[in-house]
Amino acid sequence: MRDTYHEQLAEVGDGLIEMSRLVGSAVSKATTALLDADLDAAEQVIAGDEQVNALYRQLDDVAVQLLARQQPVATDLRAIVTGLRMSSDLERVGDYAVHIAKVARRRHPHSVVPIELRATILEMGQAATRIAVKAGTVIATRDLTLAAQLLADDDTIDALHAQLFSQLLSPSFTHGVEAAIDLALVGRYYERLADHAVAVSHAVTYLVTGEHGEPESYASE
Amino acid sequence: MAKRIVARDVSAYYGAFRAIEGVSLTIEPKSITALIGPSGCGKSTFLRTLNRMHEVIAGARVEGQVLLDDEDLYGEGVDATAVRRTVGMVFQRPNPFPTMSIYDNVAAGLKLNGVKGKQRLDEAVERSLRGANLWTEVKDRLGKPGAGLSGGQQQRLCIARAIAVEPQVLLMDEPCSALDPISTLAIEDLMTELKDRYTIVIVTHNMQQAARVSDTTGFFTIDGPGQPGRLVEIDATEKIFSNPSEKRTEDYITGRFG
Repeated sequence: MRDTYHEQLAEVGDGLIEMSRLVGSAVSKATTALLDADLDAAEQVIAGDEQVNALYRQLDDVAVQLLARQQPVATDLRAIVTGLRMSSDLERVGDYAVHIAKVARRRHPHSVVPIELRATILEMGQAATRIAVKAGTVIATRDLTLAAQLLADDDTIDALHAQLFSQLLSPSFTHGVEAAIDLALVGRYYERLADHAVAVSHAVTYLVTGEHGEPESYASE
Repeated sequence: MAKRIVARDVSAYYGAFRAIEGVSLTIEPKSITALIGPSGCGKSTFLRTLNRMHEVIAGARVEGQVLLDDEDLYGEGVDATAVRRTVGMVFQRPNPFPTMSIYDNVAAGLKLNGVKGKQRLDEAVERSLRGANLWTEVKDRLGKPGAGLSGGQQQRLCIARAIAVEPQVLLMDEPCSALDPISTLAIEDLMTELKDRYTIVIVTHNMQQAARVSDTTGFFTIDGPGQPGRLVEIDATEKIFSNPSEKRTEDYITGRFG
């Protein structure tokens, strides 16, 4: 029954999964651009964001059409309301990847990351990529156990963010104010994008349970 | 098969009373067009001008043109009965012929049109019942009275009866207002299937139904008691329900008037 309706609902879900795939790859590529001073990678991330934005607008349109025409209720209603929020969060994740890529582009051919900070930034980049990809899996599977794990990844990024700051403020950091600002910004971008992935995790929890709880309280062993 | 309907400056009267005035619109073939509006706005009257059912009422008449592809339904020498065969109609209350079996209900129109032979009738009855998504539910009791079916089944029987004579256009006047929500969704699904073959025009009080099922929505209204109904706006359904061009349409669909 109501085939068109269910197709459009699936379109919202598929669109979110596609968005998370795109932004996950953008975060990974932006990290490469940053660590390897890879201008080509940076340009790809910056240009690729248009595709994310187009999907974001398209999801908005589909969601408005569904709300206007299909009178969704219960889980379907939450799927659309949370879908709107999640697409906005994913779009922001994409924007942060662009910000990171732009820092890399601005410093090219020099590297933003001094050798002694490579490990920290690499770890942040990997954790951020992981959390963005996981957000996509949580959307696709509605798995609250995975949603809870995603929160743990965010704690890792927060810890790395704090560590980066202390490294920047340490007397042994000798690369000047400009470099410090770039690195502080990059750290901040990773930290923010992880928070948006966490918001996706909360949205999926609400979608599944209808309650505004923490995913841990619903996760299975 | 399915035909385009073009109404040009159609006005309809009951005696001296002008019920609708100056309605012009185009209805595309193989699409569903919903007509919505407050009670008394003339949407049902307009629907009945599309198969010359309006003039069945004493003193009722129509001005203007209704073209089915290129043929004016109100042209000289046009046979109203032939028009109604081409433009079928389903009504608000399911109205199967009460004394007839399910089979005979569907076959009635065919017999009236001179279709003979058991095999031909059998085939047409099955095809029509399948087309109305009713076949599997009734194939083992075709000889039972049509009035014994549930309301939703009766309405699908009436749709089967209407499509048995292979019309090109199906008019539906509030086809779900006497049905429960699940039967309503079944009829709506059926409409979506039928639009592959027919041009469908539906009048509905249920705005949500118009939003769900139609490709195009037309909004009718009246300025006040005794005034004729007019078409305010007709556009793609997604446009009407998300961003209509006319403020009166918006006021109506958001429940601020009517």
